[in-house]
Amino acid sequence: MGRYVPIRDYAVIGDGRTVALVARDGAIDWLCLPNMDSPSVFAAILDAERGGSFELCPTERYETTRRYRPGTNVLETTFTTTSGRVRVTDAMTLPDANLGPLRELARRVEGLSGRVAMRWRATPRFDYGRRARLERRGEIPVASHGAAFGSWDAGAPEIRDGGVSGRFEMAAGHRALLGVIATCNEPLVFPPRAHVEARLDTTAAFWERWSGQLTYAGPWRDAVVRSALGLKLLVFAPSGAITAAPTTSLPEAIGGERNWDYRYCWIRDSSFTIEALLQLGCRQEATSFFWWFMHATRLTSPRLRVLYRLDGGAHVPERVLDHLSGYRGSRPVRIGNAAADQLQLDTFGELLDAALGYVRRGARIDRDTMNQLAELADFVADHWREPDAGIWEVRMEPQHFTESKAMCWVALDRAAQLAETGHLSDRRRQRWLTEAAAIRAFIDNHCWSERLGSYVRYAGREELDASLLMMPIMRYDEPTSPRLAGTIEAVRRELGRGALVYRYTGEDGLAGAEGVFVCCSFWLAEALALAGRRDDAARSMDAALALANDVGLFSEELDPASGEFLGNFPQGLVHLAIISAAAAIARLPS
Amino acid sequence: MSVWAALAGGFAGTLVLTTALSGASQLRLTRIDIPFLLGTAFTDDRTRAKVLGYGLHFVAGMAFSLVYYAMFLVIGRAGWRLGMTFGLLHSLFAGSALANVLLPAIHPRMGTPFTAADSSPLLEPPGFMLLNYGRATPIVTVIAHLAYGAIVGAVVGAAPR
Repeated sequence: MGRYVPIRDYAVIGDGRTVALVARDGAIDWLCLPNMDSPSVFAAILDAERGGSFELCPTERYETTRRYRPGTNVLETTFTTTSGRVRVTDAMTLPDANLGPLRELARRVEGLSGRVAMRWRATPRFDYGRRARLERRGEIPVASHGAAFGSWDAGAPEIRDGGVSGRFEMAAGHRALLGVIATCNEPLVFPPRAHVEARLDTTAAFWERWSGQLTYAGPWRDAVVRSALGLKLLVFAPSGAITAAPTTSLPEAIGGERNWDYRYCWIRDSSFTIEALLQLGCRQEATSFFWWFMHATRLTSPRLRVLYRLDGGAHVPERVLDHLSGYRGSRPVRIGNAAADQLQLDTFGELLDAALGYVRRGARIDRDTMNQLAELADFVADHWREPDAGIWEVRMEPQHFTESKAMCWVALDRAAQLAETGHLSDRRRQRWLTEAAAIRAFIDNHCWSERLGSYVRYAGREELDASLLMMPIMRYDEPTSPRLAGTIEAVRRELGRGALVYRYTGEDGLAGAEGVFVCCSFWLAEALALAGRRDDAARSMDAALALANDVGLFSEELDPASGEFLGNFPQGLVHLAIISAAAAIARLPS
Repeated sequence: MSVWAALAGGFAGTLVLTTALSGASQLRLTRIDIPFLLGTAFTDDRTRAKVLGYGLHFVAGMAFSLVYYAMFLVIGRAGWRLGMTFGLLHSLFAGSALANVLLPAIHPRMGTPFTAADSSPLLEPPGFMLLNYGRATPIVTVIAHLAYGAIVGAVVGAAPR
């Protein structure tokens, strides 16, 4: 089947436009250019044979340790062999005052001890593995689709079999440098070595400065800072949009069909994102994101799409890439996401909650934005009685999902609060309150199970859903109220596996099973904290954080038996949930 | 043909162009809002930006009408058909170079394809032919500029020498 690295063994580097996944063995197996939602250049993670990668490692047997340079998104991988030790520093560099390429991935190799023979090989496969053409321009290997491969003191590059490769020996105290230099619709820039080295250093300095400004001072600070740094990599800087994850089709079950493209911005995540960014003191990023999503949703308002492209477009057709075999044979590989067309009523609650949180922290909103928010609330008041696809965007018949209804209540409650403080027109406030009361009556009458002592997944069924944890988190009621306390306990009892939590019981319109959904574990910790159960919350937090990979990152799901990472990686929602849960626990008296 | 006719045509043409784009925005055809884009170059207060942007847009519209006027003079005639031709070229220039390259390069609050993690712009760049602001945006923009050109051409052509 070829070389497939466990998802857990990847780390991520990025520059705010695109990201690369770097494996523990030094290979870069995922990189899209020029942007994170562009077609891939390296996609060995989706097809080890055809996807393309950039390998860099000793020629002899080795062991690796790695870490992010503290407070940065600059990755250091140290190879230890019987001949010596070598450190590889990987980063997507940020622009500086020098003329630089549109995108640049730098790989610095340093000899730490002894003499180690190294090899590298880059096999660019543009357009998701469909195009490969390398030629030499002067001394520099160039792919005609807009990338060059720079190498300095890393052996003479040789072009063969659709790849460029080299071998060199790394002695203690010496340095070599490799780089991917990319362009799009403009001439390639071939930077001198000194410029690449300088950008690598200034990039590390920027990340240190940025993380140094984070204001969080509570427990699990390392995990919170790593989550913030990871989230920052998911921010598409040219527009301010935040992608759910930078990968597509990493499977929720090995060999299964639950493989989705997450390189889009989900409105659902907006509330958590803005709240998390503001909690960490990242006001600029929060403002940028709020402007982006109010702008992006204008075309479709008052109906919200579930997700938008990073450039704000709403057209996200789903296609299958038949020529890719998928991660360890997990087909299909999809690009685009058909969930974009679903009706998911909970997104309105998340967006209006985000708007209220934004305003409460002193931000201003203009008249057009006020009108748009009021239209959204009116839409909820008109449509909350309809069934929808729910937060998990299941592909079965629409249902009256409890969490969707609760978030409709949140939408109308937040709109009424905005009207009360003069940010929205007071004229429609009474109607919003009336409809909110009707939603509450529906939930209490149709979505509660006496047998389970819990709210249920959707009206009329006796199934559970971890998204019900959103009800205490979004203050649908007091988290200590009997019904919400019962729901938290039922989710823990019925869906929990140790510190981990499955998403739901019952069908979802797809074949096969899935792993435990990691963000739900942190939602549970937060819900426990809000219910005043600090020790239980802290224990859940500790246990869940212990399952992160060696550099502190999480994928979307986990196999509870093996601990194997499943689903797209790294997933923003998980890291948002970590920040939120840590902050909730930190607010409690110890 | 006269300068005053060109300025009057430019004012009327900008009025129609702005109204057309605003109408298209209200119909959810596009997210383009030229006054907003211009105004946010000077302030991040959205309301003030729009007020300021409308003023700037009218100034720009009248300045462009003088360029049209100069071209009418060179060719030796003016009329709505010729004005529409200029309007077409104007819209293509606006979509490909002005809004796609020049505006992001000088706008302090707008992202560019080069914007990286060390910056948090408030406005996404319009993209080629303003496509980032909706798939119908190029069509709407071209139609609005055709109307602008036709009005400038008609007014200049009808004015006594």
